[in-house]
Amino acid sequence: MDAAERDLLSSTLHKAMTTATGPALDASLAGLGWADLLTEVPEAAVPLVFRLLGETGAHAPLLNDVILHAAGRPLGGTPPLPYAGGSWVVWERGGRGAPGVCLDGELPLRVGPAGEPIPLGAGRRALGWWLVGTGRAMLALARSHVLDRTQFGRPLASFQAVRHRLAETLVALDGAEATLVAADDDLGALLAKAAAGRSALTAARHCQQVLGGIGFTAEHDLHRHVRRALVLDGLLGSARELTREAGTLVREGRSAPRLVQL
Amino acid sequence: MNVTEFRTDLRRWLDANDLSPGPDDSLDAQVTQLARVRRALYEAGWMRYGWPAEVRGLGGPPVLRAVLGEEVATRGLAEPGIYSMVEVLAPTVISYAPAELAAEMVPLLLGGREQWCQGFSEPGSGSDLASLGTRAVPRRGDWVVTGQKVWTSLAQYSARCVLLTRTAPGHAGITAFFVDMDTPGITVRPLRTMHGVDEFAEVFFDDVVVPGERMLGRPGDGWQLAMDLLPHERSTCFWHRIAHLYTRLDHLLHQMPASDSGRDDDALGAAYLALHTVRCRSHTTQRRLAEGEHLGPETSVDKVLLATAEQELFDTVRDLLPGTLELTETPWRSEYLYSRAATIYGGTAEIQRNIIARRLLNLGKE
Repeated sequence: MDAAERDLLSSTLHKAMTTATGPALDASLAGLGWADLLTEVPEAAVPLVFRLLGETGAHAPLLNDVILHAAGRPLGGTPPLPYAGGSWVVWERGGRGAPGVCLDGELPLRVGPAGEPIPLGAGRRALGWWLVGTGRAMLALARSHVLDRTQFGRPLASFQAVRHRLAETLVALDGAEATLVAADDDLGALLAKAAAGRSALTAARHCQQVLGGIGFTAEHDLHRHVRRALVLDGLLGSARELTREAGTLVREGRSAPRLVQL
Repeated sequence: MNVTEFRTDLRRWLDANDLSPGPDDSLDAQVTQLARVRRALYEAGWMRYGWPAEVRGLGGPPVLRAVLGEEVATRGLAEPGIYSMVEVLAPTVISYAPAELAAEMVPLLLGGREQWCQGFSEPGSGSDLASLGTRAVPRRGDWVVTGQKVWTSLAQYSARCVLLTRTAPGHAGITAFFVDMDTPGITVRPLRTMHGVDEFAEVFFDDVVVPGERMLGRPGDGWQLAMDLLPHERSTCFWHRIAHLYTRLDHLLHQMPASDSGRDDDALGAAYLALHTVRCRSHTTQRRLAEGEHLGPETSVDKVLLATAEQELFDTVRDLLPGTLELTETPWRSEYLYSRAATIYGGTAEIQRNIIARRLLNLGKE
């Protein structure tokens, strides 16, 4: 896929995700050739699609397909997915969020019994891109707020304390994105998911703080991204769990693997 | 020569030619060791790859220099901070000095026959480099330099200095010179740091006469010269430093009691994740540089990631080897203390965040 094709695909996907979400988006992406993209050019399609889910705030049960494809099974099913703390969830297709169960009421996740072990690397990469996209959506909301909102006679964006929080957010997101670009094995995917989860939580904390009271209300969009980040972070292992797992690995191996080489 | 071939051949050579340092870790010994390593690597050719033929280099992509630096850091052959100084000094002289001067001088640096230093910071202008005040005044074809520099690494060992001076007001009034350190009027006073190493010095310039042909670039090019350093400092040097930090993490993993199961894995994992993150980011930056891209304010992200990872690693060392760096004589002590400077040198963490806010996030003026 060359740059022009990718731009075209990106704008098509963006349009789809800003006009539909959930089952409707699932159907619309199926029509746009999601299954072919996933099976033929996953290295280009997965970052693009999942990052855009984050940036637009839309959702679709595509993680199931990523897992099924990695497992060599037919697309379209709903394999049980491990969640933080030893829970398991199913990401319903065509279902609707059950209010009061999942923190992100828009996501149709259902807690269920433990399933079979699944290949985790591809799913963690996809979720990582989603989390970074969500973080960038929060950063964009915070950025436009601090430029618009005036206090003490000047824009919030002119206060160094505010600027440094947003700078830290960008550092975390850009760092996480670099780990995703380099994630071409299971350990790389584990670390990338941890970095991405942490960057989205960093974005949530700093962006909510600079948005002040408005970022705490349901009238502003931020809360949707905050809830989304919290839920996605726990899927296939939270940043905290994965970081600990990486620590165990280097301690037992007595060496810190250098995953990227010049 | 491609990267894989270079790395394989280099490793084979380093396995056969032991350049390990002796037990003395004083700064004098480190500088002597650095010269020994550079000389051996230069004579065997390794130190000449990635440098242009005009300065007696053997050509090839500059990334070969990052590979060499990584091997040097990983094997602990030379202290990586002072080893990496070639990465900013040599490219600067190649870009700005008259061609014959660069051809004469750069091989002396690469070949370990001389140390050089970089006279940028001043007591009144650290992070605020544009405010520097060391004056250079023209006199009969020469320039007369008066003022003071500080934080000048290895000044007391150096034969030459890449010096920034003021020749007119403002950013456009900064002019660089390549100064012989034995010129009358130069006084070097080493500075004792909290980690007990006189790595830095104050350098005083008292009516120091610098020949006109030792100007780097033209009058007023000094600011651009300083900015042109960044791609080298923030790509190749960073790659070396990250390689060094990985070896320190490995060292910690070996030194931890084997019975320590699980309790400290959160901290170990976080330190490893921080290192992995900056290595991935630095890898991206290296690739962009190799493709001829211009590196700009986005390298402030690399800088913040590196400083954060470095301090997190050494905080973890202190936590996981309780009492060790306080109560025993160990290299960890000086390394821990030096890591406190990671958010200060090369532009403070606050300056980096200001750059990110203004130039990457377009948040306007403060």
